[in-house]
Order: sequence, then structure tokens, then C-alpha cells
Amino acid sequence: MWGKKQEQNRSEREFSGCGSYQSSEVWAKVTGKAVYGIDLEFPGMLYGKILRSPHPHARVKSIDLSAARAIPGVRAVLSAQDVHCNPYGIVVDDEIPLAVDRVRYIGDEVAVVAAVDQKTAERAISAIKVQYEPLPAVFNPAEALDKQAPQLHEDFPGNVAWKRDLIRGDPDTAFREADLVVEDSFSMPSVHPAYLEPIACVAVSEYGNGVTLHTALQSPDLVRGIISRALNLSSSLVRVIGPVMGGGFGGRVFGNLKLYILSSLLSIHTGFPVKMQLTREEEFTVGRPMIAAEINLKMALRRDGTILARESKIITDNGAYSAQAPWVSKTFSERNDSVYRIPNIKTRARLVYTNKVPTAQYRAYGNQSANFACESLMDQAAKKLNMDPLELRLKNCTQAGDTTVHGLEIKSCALTKCLQRAASEIGWDQRKSGRGYGISSGIHANGSLVADKNFRGASVRAALELDGRVSVFTGEQDYGQGVHAAFACIAARVLGLEPDQISVYSRDSLVTPFSQGALAMRQTTIGGRAVQLAAQELQKAIIQKASEISGEPVSLENGLLKNASGHLIELSEVATGYHRQTSGLTLVGEGKYVPPPSDYDETSYGNISVTYSFASHAAEVEIDKRTGAITVHRIVAVHDSGQIVNLLTSRGQVCGGVTQGLGMCCYEGYLFEGGRVVNSSLADYRIPTALDVPAIDHVFIETEDPEGPFGAKGMGEIVMVPVLGAIGNAVADAAGISITDLPLTAEKVYQAMSGRECAK
Amino acid sequence: MSYIIASDLNQALQILRDSKGQARVIAGATDLFLQTLPAELVDLAELYETTQLEESGGLLSIGSAVTHASAARSLLIRSKAAALAEACAMIGSPQVRNIGTIGGNVANAAPAADAAVALVALGAKAVITDIEGQTREEAVEELYAGYNRSVIDSSSEIIGRLVFKPCAAGEGSAFMRFAPRRALALPLVNVAARIRVSGRRIEAVRMVAAPVKPAPTRLFETEALLQEIIPGHEIWAKVEEAAASEVEVRGSILRCSGQYRRHLVGTLAERVLKEAYQRACASDGGET
Amino acid sequence: MKKQAINFELNGEPVEVFTEASGSLLHLLRGQLGLLGTKEGCGAGECGACTVLLDNQPVNACLVPAAKIEGKQVQTIESLSTSNTVHPLQESFVKKGAVQCGFCTPGMVLSAYALLKANPDPTPGEVKEAISGNLCRCSGYKQVEEAVLDAAEKKDQASSED
Repeated sequence: MWGKKQEQNRSEREFSGCGSYQSSEVWAKVTGKAVYGIDLEFPGMLYGKILRSPHPHARVKSIDLSAARAIPGVRAVLSAQDVHCNPYGIVVDDEIPLAVDRVRYIGDEVAVVAAVDQKTAERAISAIKVQYEPLPAVFNPAEALDKQAPQLHEDFPGNVAWKRDLIRGDPDTAFREADLVVEDSFSMPSVHPAYLEPIACVAVSEYGNGVTLHTALQSPDLVRGIISRALNLSSSLVRVIGPVMGGGFGGRVFGNLKLYILSSLLSIHTGFPVKMQLTREEEFTVGRPMIAAEINLKMALRRDGTILARESKIITDNGAYSAQAPWVSKTFSERNDSVYRIPNIKTRARLVYTNKVPTAQYRAYGNQSANFACESLMDQAAKKLNMDPLELRLKNCTQAGDTTVHGLEIKSCALTKCLQRAASEIGWDQRKSGRGYGISSGIHANGSLVADKNFRGASVRAALELDGRVSVFTGEQDYGQGVHAAFACIAARVLGLEPDQISVYSRDSLVTPFSQGALAMRQTTIGGRAVQLAAQELQKAIIQKASEISGEPVSLENGLLKNASGHLIELSEVATGYHRQTSGLTLVGEGKYVPPPSDYDETSYGNISVTYSFASHAAEVEIDKRTGAITVHRIVAVHDSGQIVNLLTSRGQVCGGVTQGLGMCCYEGYLFEGGRVVNSSLADYRIPTALDVPAIDHVFIETEDPEGPFGAKGMGEIVMVPVLGAIGNAVADAAGISITDLPLTAEKVYQAMSGRECAK
Repeated sequence: MSYIIASDLNQALQILRDSKGQARVIAGATDLFLQTLPAELVDLAELYETTQLEESGGLLSIGSAVTHASAARSLLIRSKAAALAEACAMIGSPQVRNIGTIGGNVANAAPAADAAVALVALGAKAVITDIEGQTREEAVEELYAGYNRSVIDSSSEIIGRLVFKPCAAGEGSAFMRFAPRRALALPLVNVAARIRVSGRRIEAVRMVAAPVKPAPTRLFETEALLQEIIPGHEIWAKVEEAAASEVEVRGSILRCSGQYRRHLVGTLAERVLKEAYQRACASDGGET
Repeated sequence: MKKQAINFELNGEPVEVFTEASGSLLHLLRGQLGLLGTKEGCGAGECGACTVLLDNQPVNACLVPAAKIEGKQVQTIESLSTSNTVHPLQESFVKKGAVQCGFCTPGMVLSAYALLKANPDPTPGEVKEAISGNLCRCSGYKQVEEAVLDAAEKKDQASSED
């Protein structure tokens, strides 16, 4: 059983990919042997703890570290004065490792301690004396935009962290000439990825020669760059090595930069490895949840259902510091405009600083929360037009060959088929009375130019080992979603080998090729294509070397090397032959995938991604009208993610993503009181349990994408995009009224329904 | 701190006596790490006296250290105190139910403790022994000194068991809760009822709701509506209204508004009373 | 801090440890005994990642005082596999794709293991109930449910072949 190729699931259909192969790490996980960040231990390791601000906004008048430093077992106590760091950030440099004179949210880092054990570190933290002078704080983005509001950052006057005013086409005329204009406002709270393993890291000082950071990241190479800038360390002297990751979902693209920087500082200061770990409460209060948003949406349509224009007014809540919030706000503000053909767009978006937890992102980058609003308005329009919501969508679907309103070039797209199939699977034409039904569609990019306009591809190194196995070195990260299994399948397919003859390595930034990592759903498409190209290069090199060794032409088919006379040559023979000949070199194929030229202008018009994945989800729900409680009975998820590389892991992505979408739609959301997070535990921040999850059915409509490896496209984020719209619309259908404020708790459903009863 | 697993009730009492207020008793200890630890802990989970579950002398007697899981599984409780089995089956998670105890659910004095709500509806009394060796019985609803504060002094008193009359023929009980998630969740509202019928006429009824006050709260006005009648549609509608208006409830950002909680009390009260009534009617005449 | 001796059976072997009585079973297992397969996701009994079996019953190790295990049997994930064999239930977890990030997996496997021991032929509803105290953020639980049912089926076959 160990590492063996799994039996293939042929029950549904013959898939193009390699069935259900999983990389061998799965055995370490299922037996409890996999080593995660929280499990790391090093000889001489110290434990770091952070003193955090109890105030949402205050001036730091004085910090007295002397009592903490006097405690036996304490190895370092640092405040801003003791460290020399550059401001840093992801989009803008608005953070510093320790507060200099001001704290901007409850949890802001003020001082840090390293001690021989956790308890001593905690004792030292409580011995630090800080005098604060509380300042007026602002918790609501609308209030923060007021001229009189307290200002959080000097470089961002008016508390505006990012803004966008955009017009495409002629929306004003379209709205004037429309037969129907629908309008509604929606709000979505901050949500947390809630990966099961709290973030942990161990920083190991290399004695004046940089620092090695052991922590699990989706984008270690990008984090490495930020840390080296913040710490003034030469970038090749910051090395990131990843243990196994206990869930990421976007939350570990950059993880908790502050923790990595502070543990590095402590390790450099003490000369010992320093471990730091967030508690579950800290995950919620100082981790990086996704932005909260408020959106007013207006849509213009012709009587026949043709969409003419959409206008969005958006305010997103950045919290005290900007991690990826500007990028997330951007995706929130535009991605859903490309699901349907909408020729005219008007967008006004403001990302606003408040004295609350800083924000970043979560799987699907705001695309999923905006989907809830956009797709609700589609249903409201259908109702007013007296049209079937399915028909309205089918009429406006984006198609292959389209260039969308924001300039996205759609090379492959089965959205129409996805919608039709989702409808037929859920029983759209035989909808049962007493149940509510909803349908929704989504698009998601495969990689994005937004992260770095000048870097959009990937490179991979494939090496033939002496034993004839193949090693693939990549910076693309696997944390259980199946990317490495997919890469093994891709390389195996090129080379005619079995996937278990391929090992994929990624977790050491010093030795694996640079990559942007697991963000923007880019890994299978872009990294996978680079794997394909690297395997092809290796194949060429093998054939060439084998020909040289055997002195005659050689072919490589189905993993078998044959010379002209049909004699078989073992791959290991070629590898060792080359090895001896070159005094130890390994036969290598390097693959670089450079996507076709694309660019975007100052308004962000342009083809920002290599290709796009599509999906339609449909939901069937029931409401207990007396309590408002929602039971989601079934969700059908139909996906165009191109050719499916691995059925088993793709299913895993769908079921997991849909469940997260369900959580975001019906259960989850930050609650604040005076800037303090009220629901900072897994008991109070409620993610779905096994008993909350409905039947989830999946269908893959396999288009042939020209860019992705063997026609494949990304899957990891699109899976949680349309589910919010689908459940939202199904609830509205069952309740007879749209509820526009996430999450859709029983209380909100009940209030909305009783409000409707009163209005009658 | 030292931790002693007591081997019988007398030993446990002796330790409490000797420690002069420095020791405290626990059983499942699921909430232990959420509190400040005393100098000494006396674990009651292994005592013969606190782990028995039996029917004798016309009473159901449930040892205070009986876990939620065993109570939920027990055929005796399921058949003669369905409300308690249902309540115990919904607490926390399987892991918590495997170690958390009925006595702990009462002694912790949490306002929405599921088992305690069912026990009050069933009319349960706690049998309490103190370090002087005195044993007394007190109704479960009398054990609350305030929110999360019990009148039981765990440094000098031990709840040995909980006793009540099992449901006989013509009696039925039921428990329901409304929670924002189907597992690992505290209820927004939980209710329990016990009803005795003769024919289809209600002879006795106990209706309890929480969290309304610090203790699981009897809804006397609602009960009064149902006394000595054969309930029909009109009465059930009145029951919902009466239950909702009878309670003073609080709202919170974390859970829900007071108004919605009040509404839930009404809806759940009606549902749980109907269920208990139907069970009582079904068991009348020897059916169970 | 006062330490006391605790004797118990750990994965089938008698063990004596000296540990802080006020510490949790989780810290004893992870910190003192080096059994890192038991994961800590919240430390408050709210996620199930630290599930171990105490006298064959799943419990949250973070909520159990170490001293409470005196004389009892504790079983952790490490007990189910050897260097070259895994339990059929673990095989089913892999086969059905029930393992993604894997952080909830040890606890999930033990909850399922206890279920199958007590109820060799569970319904899908019973499986969901049995794992309802184990949060998983990756899978949506569907594959976990399938894995447990698959393992139950294997057990059936094995016993009918006997």
C-alpha cells in the first residue's frame, strides 16, 4: 500500500488525468508522523512571546523593560528602541515590527520576549510596564472617512488606504436607457481562513550570516523578500524552510509577517533558535482575516434580460494595517463583472483604515463575497423581469473568445454548460414546493499580474536521479490540496512513468526555484505547465545522452528507452553514465513557462491572468419559518477547470471549498465591540461541523485550455466562489425576501421574514 | 497543586475536611483549565457512589459522575427520562460528552446547561453530602447563586447523585435546543418539559427554559395554561405566546438579540410541550 | 510546581511518568512524551485535533488533567501503525482522499476508530455524529465519511471471510 498508485475511480467517467494518485506525505499525515510548525523543536530553542496593546488607539508614552529583563531564564526583551528595522508591507509599507510611539489596534505589537520556556516568557511579558495615553479611535469605515475622524497613518490622509474610481464604456447612458434598474446594498463581515493549525515558526540565527526561518507558507519566496527588506538582511541570507502546513486557504500566502520578523530579531539577538506561535485567540485577534465590505450595487437591463451596465459603490474595512487588503479590495470590486457580459461599468471603491485587526485575504480573494451580492441582484432582476433566474444567466453568460469588460481574454469557457448542468442536477425544472433553490456562477483568475506586473510565469527543474527516478524541484507549495501529486502526474505523463516514480520537492527556498507560490490559483496552471516543460526538457536530455552512450538513435516511449535495434536501456544506466562522464552532474531539464505577453493599463484594463476557471453552483435549502433556521440540503458544484489532472484531489477541493463557502454564507463573521474581537475562539467563530454539511455533488466539464498543462486549469479558489450566491439565492427563494447581510443567521432570516409578513 | 482520585465518598469528604477549604472536588474536569486552580483537587469520577445509574425505591438515581455519553446511551434514561437523554446527547461534542458529567453540568451553574434544564423539568433533586457528614436534598433549580455560580461549595460539599421519579405510563418528557451549529455549540435557547396525562387530559406539567435567568427557569404561567385540559390548536398557539411573554431575556452581540431569544423560547416551548404531550399520550395505557 | 507520579497504559504499554498534576494530558503527551501526532488546534476542547482514546473513548486531551489518567488506558494515533503497516482505517482515509492538510487527521482517525469498535456497521448519520467534535477545514467531511464507511465495509468483508 505504501506510496502505491491508488485504484482509479472509474465509476463516473474516464478522466483524462491520473485518477487518484497522492504523494507519499499523505502516509505521514494519516499516521501522525508529519511534522508541522507547532511540532518543531531545536536544541537550545527559546520561546518568544509578544506584549500587545490593550488599546485600540493610543500613544505609547513609556515602556519599562527592566523588571522583565531581571527575571531568570529571560534571554531577551526588546521594544522598538532595541531594533533597527525598515517599514514593511505587502502592497504598501505601513507596518513596523514594534510600535514606536503609537498603537493602532487591540493586539498591536509593543514589545517582545525570548525565554527558556513559555511560562517564563509569559511572566516576563506581564512584568513589562507600558504607559499609554488613549487616543480617539474609529471602528467604522464610514466614520473613518469623515474629515474630523482620527487619522491612523500620516501617509494616508483621510484614512484611505486604497481607492478606485472607474468607468468602462458609457454606464450613465446605459442606465438612462435601461428598461429596468435594480439596486440593493449588501454587507459582508471579516472572515478568517480558520486553518486548524495556528501559525508557528522557529527562527534560527546563522551567526551573523542571516537567518533561517522554519515555517509553513504558501509563498515562502515572497515572504523571504519582505523579511530581508524589513531586517536589512541580504536576501540570499534569509532562508525559508517549510514544515508540513496545517491548512492555509490564502491565510498563509504571507502568514503572519510580524511573527516571522520578531522571531528572527530575537534569534539574531540571542544567538539561539526562537519559536513563536499564535494562540487560537491570537489567530482571530491579530491574525489576518479577510476585509469586511459594504457594497451598493445597481444593474441596468433591457426588458429581454440583456445586462447593460453595473454600478458598484464599495467601502472595504482595512483595519489598522494593510496586508493584501488593497489587492483583495480590487478583486472584490471587479472580478464578478466578467462572469456575465456587462458592457458598461462604473465603480467607486474605498479601502479605509480603522482601529481594528489588520486584514488580508481568504481563499478566492473577495471574489466570493462579491459573488453573494452580484448574484443576488441577478435574481432580483429576474424576478422583476418575470424571467427564470437560470434563463437570465444563460442569456448573459461569458463565452470562450470573449474579451470581458475589464480586458480579460477568455480562451476556454464552459460557463453555459456549467449553468445548464447545475440546473439539471439540482432539478431546476422539478423544484419542490417548501424548498428554496438558487443558482450562481463565478470566474476566477489563474495567476495574476497584480502581484508583480513583470513576473507571471514559473520555472521548474526536473532531474534524473541515479536510480532512474525523477525529482522535480519547484517553488510551488503543496499543503494537502494535491499540487505535488498533480505535478507528479504531469511529469509522469510526459515521461511515460508512473506518478510514484516522481518525487516533488518544494520546501526549501535555498534550493528550490523561485516561485510566487500558492496564490491566485496559479499553481496547477502555471507551475504545472512549467513542470510539463521541464519534463519535456529532461526527456530530450535523456534521449540525447542515451544516444551518445549507445552510439545510435534512441526513443523514449511509455518510460521505456529503446535503441534502434529495440534493445531496452534503463533510465538508471543513462543517469549513472552521465554522472560518471561529468564527475557527478545530474541530468536535468529546466522548464520555464512564460505566459503569452499581457499587460494592464493604469485603469487595470488588460488580460491580468493566463486563463480563467469557471463554475456554477446550485443549492437546495429549507427554512424553518418559525425560527428562521436554514437547512441546506444539497449543493451541486459544476466546474470548468479544464482537464482534470487528479479526480480524487479535485473532488477534495470542491467539497472543501463548498463547505467553506457554506460557512461564510451562513455561519461565519467577525463580531466587534469597541474594536475588540468578540468571537475569538473556535467555539464562537463557528465553522461548519460534520453535521452541518449538506450533500455536495460535483461535476467537471472538461474544456481544453490552451495554456494549462494538458489543458488543465486551476481549481483551488473558484470552488468557494459561486456557492455564496447559490445559497444566498436559495435562501431568498425559500424566505420570499433577499437577506443582504452576511452571514445568513437564523435570526436575520426570521427578522426578514417577519418584516415581510408585517408589510403584507 | 496535588490531584487525588478519590476511591470512595468518605475518603473524598475526609480530604476536603483535612484541607480546610484548600481542596475542591471535580469530576469530568472539562472546565478545569478555564479556572484558577486550587491547591488540591479531588476527582470524584471513579467513586462507586457517583457512577451508579439505577432505579430503586421508585426513584431514578443518577450518580453525579455519570458522563453525558453514558446517560445519553442508557436505556433506562432513554425510556424513563427521555428529556435527559436528549439533552445529554447534544452537549458539546462526543469528546466532551465522554468525560463531562451530569453533576458537573449542574455544579458549574452555567445558565444554558442542557442536562440541568432537563433535570429541572424532570423534577430532579441533588443529593448533597457535606464535610460534617450531613446529607440533604435540594431541587436542582435551587442550586444557583447567580450566573455561573452555584450554591454548592465544592470545597466542602459533594453532589453524590441526582434523583427523580422516572416517567411512568402516561408520562412523557422531551428536550429541545436551538443552536447556531449542529455540534460544538452552546444553545441560544434550550427547553424541556415533562407531562403526565390521563386519557388525553393533562394532569401535570413542568416546563423549563434557559438561558433566561441564572437557573433553568420554570414557566409557571405556560404550565398553568395546560393544566387539566385536553390541548387543541388554540391552546398550543396560546402556549407559544405565553412562554415568550413570561420570560425576561437578554441579548448579546455574540449570540442573538433578546427579542429573538424571547421568540425562540415561545416556539421551542410549544414544540417541546407538544412532543412531551404526544409521548405521554403514547405511553398511556402501557405503551412506551 | 508540584509533580506527581502517574501510572497508566500508553498504547498498550505500562508507563510511569512524573508530571505536573495541573498539566493537561495533551501537554504530557506532546511536551513530555514526545508523541507529536496528537495535535493542538485550540487548547480549549473546541476543535478535536487533540483527540485521543481514554479507556477506548475519544476525549479532548487538552481538557483532561494529566493526573486523571492514573490506571487508565490512553491510545494515541501512534498506536495504529508500525514502521511498515497501517491500520485499514488509515488506508481508507488515504484511499478516499480524506486527508488534505492532515492536521485534524489523527484526531479524526481516532474518533472513527472508536466508532467502528463500538459500532462496526455505522450509518452515514452515525459517522457524522461520531466525527462532529472534530473540526476539519479542508475536506468538507464528505471524504472522511466515505473513508469510515469504506473501512466498515472492509471489516465486514474480513469477518465474512473468516
